[in-house]
Amino acid sequence: MNALSAFTLWTQKNRWIWAAIGVLLLWLVLSVVTNRFSLSSLSGIILSASFLTVVGIGQMFVVTTGRGNIDLSVASVITLSAFVALLTIKGQDANLAIGVAAAVLLGLAVGLLNSLLVVGLGIPAIIATLATGYVLATATLLSNRAIPGFAVSPALKDLATGRISGVPIMAIMAILGVAVASFVLRYTVFGQLLSAVGQNRTAARLAAINNGRVIAAAFIISSVLASLDGLLLGAYIGGAFLEMGQPYLLQSIAAVVLGGTLIFGGSATALGTLFASILLILIVTTMQIVGLPPGVQDIVQGIVVIFVLALAGDRRWRAAHRSIPRTPQRRRQSQAPPRPCRSDEHVTNDFSCQILVE
Amino acid sequence: MSHLAVADQKGTAAMAPAARQEIVSLTQITKSFGPTLANAEIDLAISAGEIIGLVGGNGAGKSTLMRILCGTMWPTLGSISFAGQALDFTDYNTAEAQRRGIRMVHQELSLCANLSVAENFFLETPQDAASRPGWRRLYRGRARSALDAVFPGNGIDVDAQVSQLSIAERQMVEIARAAATPGVRLIVLDEPTSSLDLDRSRQLRAFIRERAKAGLAFIFISHKLQEIVDIASQVVVLRNGRSAWRGDVADTSIGKLVQIMGGDTNPVHQHGAAAVGAAGALVRLSGALTSELGRDIEIARGEIVGLAGLEGSGQKDLLHAIFKPGKDAGVTRTGDAGFIAGDRQKEGVFPLWSVLGNISIGSLARRPALGLVSDRVNRAAAADAAGRLRLDEHRFGSNILEFSGGNQQKALVARALVADTPIILLDDPTRGVDIATKQDFYRLCNDIARSGRTLVWHTTEDAELLACDRVLVFAGGRIVKELTGAAITEAAIVGASFVQQADKRAAAARGKARVAGLARLVNAAPFIGLAAVLAVMISANPAVASIFGLDLLLMPALSLVLVTAAQMFIVGGSEIDLGVGAFAGLVSVLSATLLYDQPWLGALALLAAVAAYAGLGGLIQARKIPAIVVTLGASFIWVGLGYALQPTPGGTSPEWLTALFGWSLDFLPTSIILIAAVALVVLVIDRLPLGVVLRGFGNNPTAMIRSGWSPTRYALVRYLIAGLFAAAAGLSLTAINTASDINSGNSFTLLSVAAVVMGGCSLLGGIVSPVGAIAGAVTLSLIGALLGTLNVSSDFNAATQGLILIALLTLRGLTADRGSEQ
Repeated sequence: MNALSAFTLWTQKNRWIWAAIGVLLLWLVLSVVTNRFSLSSLSGIILSASFLTVVGIGQMFVVTTGRGNIDLSVASVITLSAFVALLTIKGQDANLAIGVAAAVLLGLAVGLLNSLLVVGLGIPAIIATLATGYVLATATLLSNRAIPGFAVSPALKDLATGRISGVPIMAIMAILGVAVASFVLRYTVFGQLLSAVGQNRTAARLAAINNGRVIAAAFIISSVLASLDGLLLGAYIGGAFLEMGQPYLLQSIAAVVLGGTLIFGGSATALGTLFASILLILIVTTMQIVGLPPGVQDIVQGIVVIFVLALAGDRRWRAAHRSIPRTPQRRRQSQAPPRPCRSDEHVTNDFSCQILVE
Repeated sequence: MSHLAVADQKGTAAMAPAARQEIVSLTQITKSFGPTLANAEIDLAISAGEIIGLVGGNGAGKSTLMRILCGTMWPTLGSISFAGQALDFTDYNTAEAQRRGIRMVHQELSLCANLSVAENFFLETPQDAASRPGWRRLYRGRARSALDAVFPGNGIDVDAQVSQLSIAERQMVEIARAAATPGVRLIVLDEPTSSLDLDRSRQLRAFIRERAKAGLAFIFISHKLQEIVDIASQVVVLRNGRSAWRGDVADTSIGKLVQIMGGDTNPVHQHGAAAVGAAGALVRLSGALTSELGRDIEIARGEIVGLAGLEGSGQKDLLHAIFKPGKDAGVTRTGDAGFIAGDRQKEGVFPLWSVLGNISIGSLARRPALGLVSDRVNRAAAADAAGRLRLDEHRFGSNILEFSGGNQQKALVARALVADTPIILLDDPTRGVDIATKQDFYRLCNDIARSGRTLVWHTTEDAELLACDRVLVFAGGRIVKELTGAAITEAAIVGASFVQQADKRAAAARGKARVAGLARLVNAAPFIGLAAVLAVMISANPAVASIFGLDLLLMPALSLVLVTAAQMFIVGGSEIDLGVGAFAGLVSVLSATLLYDQPWLGALALLAAVAAYAGLGGLIQARKIPAIVVTLGASFIWVGLGYALQPTPGGTSPEWLTALFGWSLDFLPTSIILIAAVALVVLVIDRLPLGVVLRGFGNNPTAMIRSGWSPTRYALVRYLIAGLFAAAAGLSLTAINTASDINSGNSFTLLSVAAVVMGGCSLLGGIVSPVGAIAGAVTLSLIGALLGTLNVSSDFNAATQGLILIALLTLRGLTADRGSEQ
């Protein structure tokens, strides 16, 4: 086996490497092209990326449950949590514990509501979390009227903006979070069950896995992380405003997918989500440095997401799921037929289509 | 004497196929899947008027051969010719096979369940349809006469949705559809009688005989050998992927066929059952299940109990009931149960994992969630199980899909072994497994049972039941016979399987009717909701009921109605567009800026935008990427373009555009006319042949592709239609607001999804209800005004919308069949 094929094999198991390479390349190019780039400017980017990473990790758990599950309520949770923090902490360090408890409770409540709708009532995740988002939007409007002011507790502010020997505390927390998530995914029973549920729900159920409980846990993790993220983000920007969580909706999904987590579920990489978050923030920062207007920045972000999906998503999935139908929920008949080859597919090298006529 | 002469003539006609014209011939067909040969050097020639009985055990290669014949799969080696003319396989596909008159009736049925019987006939022969009212009449008539020709007195309503038909009726529709295709020359019937009762099966065979005389050729695949012997003129026996025998039906018999098919499947009966005692009973069956027997059944430790009967008679249901006992199913068990699935791809393997991962998951489910997983411990446990199965430990690291079916099955058995449950349930585990693995498997079953565990074994191979201590024979969902020891013979099993039960179906139909009534109520919910909202508003403020009042109230709803129409077509294809509102915003910006300043350039830009939107659909289909993420990404592009064109709200609506939405009639509010017009257009598109095709793709893309439809083309068309509606929504925004704002459409995206779902469309695709969705859209857009009327803060707008959505979905969830996995 030569080095190249060994590397290819390795990248198949470590999909986070592509996002990491992207970060490295973009950073190198920026350092060479402009003189303004240094390790310290990278640490600023990592600080911004940390807020994305935390919500991205939560989103990753939901995406990994499969069936196209996505948590659309994270944006509303972030916003509401920032407002709830203002309401409960009132700028006093003494109230910090209450604030953190409130954020965790909010996350738990939303996560439980989402799981009730998705697991209990069988509502598709995208609709259920959409409906939850609506309800939270109203709660945000109400708390917006109730907040006493935009004072942020100094201790929380330190946590969100401070540095320890140059490294942002927030980044340390995000990296710790990534480490814990990686460990949970790789070395705990829950991580294995999550992957199993995401790959094949019927097989998971027949392996005695309680699918509902695993899926519910993923939604709760997502909401709690989003809520904590909102608490810190509020402290970082020094207050809260309506729609402050909105950018994190697409970006969290983008970070998950770019990082190498399979959008169809079953395989997640927390490290990839971290690097992809940094990459996304780096792209945005680059565009700001270059001086692109905000509209063009949006366009570039959109194109990056679609481009990466079109280029890699399909192949990744097929390599892993050659014989599994794309949307299993649609097949209710007793025997899933092998995917037939179609005339417009002959150019691909899907193995069932290969032809070796002599 | 004359009798004899007639019979003789018939005989020569059937017995002399050589004189007939050859339709298609396959030569030296070989097909390999990795290391396994599904077909090896098979020759098969079919002439007009022939009825070929194709038989062979499970995994003998019948399905593969038929897929190659029908163009859904290409062989590794071999050639095909039509009437003596060779054809290159690269030029051969489903559409070509159909053009040459080959039709297949699949075992797993390829009808679109969301369409009517007549519409399914249309999908097969679309060339006769015209896009004008009444186009269905042709297919209605065709369906009626085709069904009556094959199955006289069938009583199937050709306007009924296929999903409302029983399995047998669906099978009948599918057969009739294939038989009625103009220009058909060869029909392949894959287990056509598996769900038909004896009378229908007889009708089918009479029909086949009739049509064969007229020159139509048939390939009849069946496990019921008496049918083969009855109907076929020639019999082809496949075994282990090779052609084992071909000859005249007169030269063979059921016994001989069984022997050729693989008489060596003789599991040795080595197992001595432990005495059945109440103390050792792990599973108890009672209630309706055993009512035919008149006593309960207990399954003890150390027993191997086989479940037999015709496929789908309740064996699988019992396995699942034992696995997860319900409240009143009459099944109780003590001790955990493990499950070994035979449908490995669908119910067994975890495709991303290695063999080791696939084995060790068995022991994880019952451990605490935060317990640690160790590869070393897993490997040790798995190695023990694998050793007993002769599964090579050195290949533990390989992906499970690189293994042959037999070895995949071994991994699944090993999974059950590491789970270490006292009860093990087997769901046809030897399906498509080679003979050596089967022998290993039988040996292991004996070992497992001897070690004090209970095996409940459902198999479709009757010979395997001889390895059991006891056999429970099912018919019509109940246990009709219990066989033990020496009484277990294939003859006894087959005899008991055919007990007919007719009374069950009626009860099921009654239950269905009640659910249908409730479902009708739920379907009316969006209209009831809309009426209620309007009633409350009118009672609070009678001025609302005036023409001016209604216009003022409903005009803003128009844009959401249009976006909802766009979203509905996307949802009909089982996708969701999260960029549709932003797209409407972009069109609004384009129309208030470019279109106003430079009409030609503006029109061109609008066309380009719609084309880009349609192209997105093509990209999603062609690359098979999730629409949700792509459209979410696209929403950034639309918004970005809008910002770049117009950083702050402004612009001017072209006069003609304002006029387009600004006219008025004295007796009806303009907004109501416009909304009704949108509803009408959507309804018409949905009812046209095009709409039927789009819904077909939403429900069963595999069936559509089998019928020769191009998925990429229709993805483009679907997104083009949606793009046009979204563009209309953008124009209406500009006209109504007389200016544009890129963010004006943003809130519509999620509202449109909500409206579509509220209106009764299924997110799984294929089920759309245009009028309901539009009623939902109007209701949602009225919520703000309603809250205003009731003096509730507009802050509650979003929450009300969300709660309505949840309430409706909950209602729907309660009435709908919960088929999907949690």
